[in-house]
Amino acid sequence: MRGATHQWAGLAARLVVGAVWLVAGGLKITHPDASIAAVRAYDLLPSSLVEPVGLLLPALELVVGLALVLGVLTRGAAVVSGLLFVAFLVGIISVWARGLEIDCGCFGGGGADPGASSQYPWEVARDSALLLLSAYVVVVPRTRVALDRVLFPERSPA
Amino acid sequence: MNMSKAEQRTAKAAALRAEQQKREARRRMLTITAVIGVMVLIIGSAVGYSIWRNNQDKADLEAAAGSAGASAHGVAIGPDDAPHTIVIYEDFLCPFCGELEKQTHEDLARLAADGKVQVEYRPFNLLGRSSEDYSVRSLNAFAAVLDAAGPKAAKKMHDLLYANQPSESGPFPSNDDLLDLAVEAGASGSDVKDDIENAGQLDWVTAATDAAQKAGVRSTPTVLLDGKVYTDFSSIDDLASGLLKAVE
Repeated sequence: MRGATHQWAGLAARLVVGAVWLVAGGLKITHPDASIAAVRAYDLLPSSLVEPVGLLLPALELVVGLALVLGVLTRGAAVVSGLLFVAFLVGIISVWARGLEIDCGCFGGGGADPGASSQYPWEVARDSALLLLSAYVVVVPRTRVALDRVLFPERSPA
Repeated sequence: MNMSKAEQRTAKAAALRAEQQKREARRRMLTITAVIGVMVLIIGSAVGYSIWRNNQDKADLEAAAGSAGASAHGVAIGPDDAPHTIVIYEDFLCPFCGELEKQTHEDLARLAADGKVQVEYRPFNLLGRSSEDYSVRSLNAFAAVLDAAGPKAAKKMHDLLYANQPSESGPFPSNDDLLDLAVEAGASGSDVKDDIENAGQLDWVTAATDAAQKAGVRSTPTVLLDGKVYTDFSSIDDLASGLLKAVE
């Protein structure tokens, strides 16, 4: 692809991943108890960390989503986005391997859920795709219609 | 040795360029700092809001749940003047509730008999969507036993329902199976047969479920220890041992 195509594709990737984060964070932020319960259901963190992580995640998701949609500090936001997807993939795969049946709590909800394991393959596929899109934005951080272009104009030639 | 005019011009231009690049770099740093500052501010306020909201939800639940033994939709064991109280909201189909029951029901029964704790079980329908669903049918059967044979038999029915808990994906016990459990719990078959076969306690089921939902119970098991929502656990094993240790 040529540079210009990459810039448009980067914009699309940014908007898709950013919108997913905004929705995920927005649905969770008003129900902190559910968010904490969802984190607890993974049975991966010590009890002292369950509440802080459950409270912090929705806020972090909102800000990463906002940064990606606006295109501000794009590369940094895409790195954080990718790391979050890696963490979620580890979580879902570990739950799957341990035979637990839980709602992933990705978009609110969470906790025990009958037949949830049938969702795991789709959840892993979705998060992997979003991880790839995040990685793409890390590689091509300079995209169209981004606030970064206003905040950080191209360096003047040395 | 003097520089030529041309050399002087080049040096001056280079100095200007360097100065300009330094200014740009400084502006860049300032902008990045400002943007990160705004982000931290947003995260901080969002987390602050979540903490406030979470405490509010807990306080509402604690106020609505009241004390153990005070609900019309539960069954309590242990004396009213026990030094500790436990309220457990649960669904007969929820596997975590089943796991909690398996790990605690004997010890809690013993501790209640010793007067160390009063435990109130408040089953409600969290997972069922229609009156055909097992969550509703089992709760209906529990209510039938409570109505016909009193709280002692109802507690036995509660324990039997968990001891025979089906998997969430089925197969589920039939109404005949539930009737057998009710008789085993101490109800007379002729008293509860009609209620169990025809969802005769659906009003009680709805009222118990409304009460739990109005209190803000959104997941099961939800446990209150001494009137406070108990959240300091990482797994059901942890919850069970924490509760028993607190009242032992």
